[in-house]
Amino acid sequence: MTATFVRRGDLIRLQLRPQEVDLLVRLAGELRTALEEPGPDDPVAARLFPPAVLGDPDADREVRDLLADALLADRLAGLESVLELVARGRRSKGRLVVDLEEDEPLLVLGVLNDIRLAIGARIDIEAIDRDRVAEHDPVAYPIAVMDHLGWWQEQLLAILDGQDRSA
Amino acid sequence: MAQAVGPATTPVREIGTEPEVTADLPWDVIVWDDPVNLMSYVVFVFKRVFGFPDHLARKLMLEVHEQGRALVASEPREQAERYVHALHGYGLRATMERPA
Repeated sequence: MTATFVRRGDLIRLQLRPQEVDLLVRLAGELRTALEEPGPDDPVAARLFPPAVLGDPDADREVRDLLADALLADRLAGLESVLELVARGRRSKGRLVVDLEEDEPLLVLGVLNDIRLAIGARIDIEAIDRDRVAEHDPVAYPIAVMDHLGWWQEQLLAILDGQDRSA
Repeated sequence: MAQAVGPATTPVREIGTEPEVTADLPWDVIVWDDPVNLMSYVVFVFKRVFGFPDHLARKLMLEVHEQGRALVASEPREQAERYVHALHGYGLRATMERPA
């Protein structure tokens, strides 16, 4: 299986198959909608904007109010950046290729994580015994997507970790 | 223009009350386990947010994974808020609390 992320000198190259491009664009769009127009009981918002202070509800409200706008703005900016990266990619050997520069690998890493967290929240991953999920269970596909994006993250982290060690 | 106002009499501390002595005490920053964040990702975040060396970041990640939570910092309130903000930005479950 061809790697999704590969190191190319100072750059990290993202290379996606067409169905992976569609998946990433769809999931990023869904997360953007969930953040911009959250439902009243949306587990995604609860997971991405979790409690900040334990044992002091007033302080918790104060700190969360303080952080919420910046957290939301950063998350939306990250999603926008990743969608722009995909849009600027070039086609090569049946894949979409994007050379990531400067902080772009971190943006991609964070967006992949947010997407995985959102999927996990929607299927209530904490209540699921993964060893008992049958092939045709409705949560089998979301879990498979989470794992696939997690594999992307592992590749990217291995490259970033290598860069840190050589810096 | 608003006038400066002050108490009409010198404040007297009520019997049984103590001055606020906890304001400057450090707040504990706790990271909690969750089933989605990758172990390698948590190590990466600890190194970036706190500048921890690799061995300490891994030790704390394992503490989170095995014990459900780990104390990652004790700081004055503003710095603790900055850490919680950064950790939430990375998608980690993090809270701050006054030490017991």
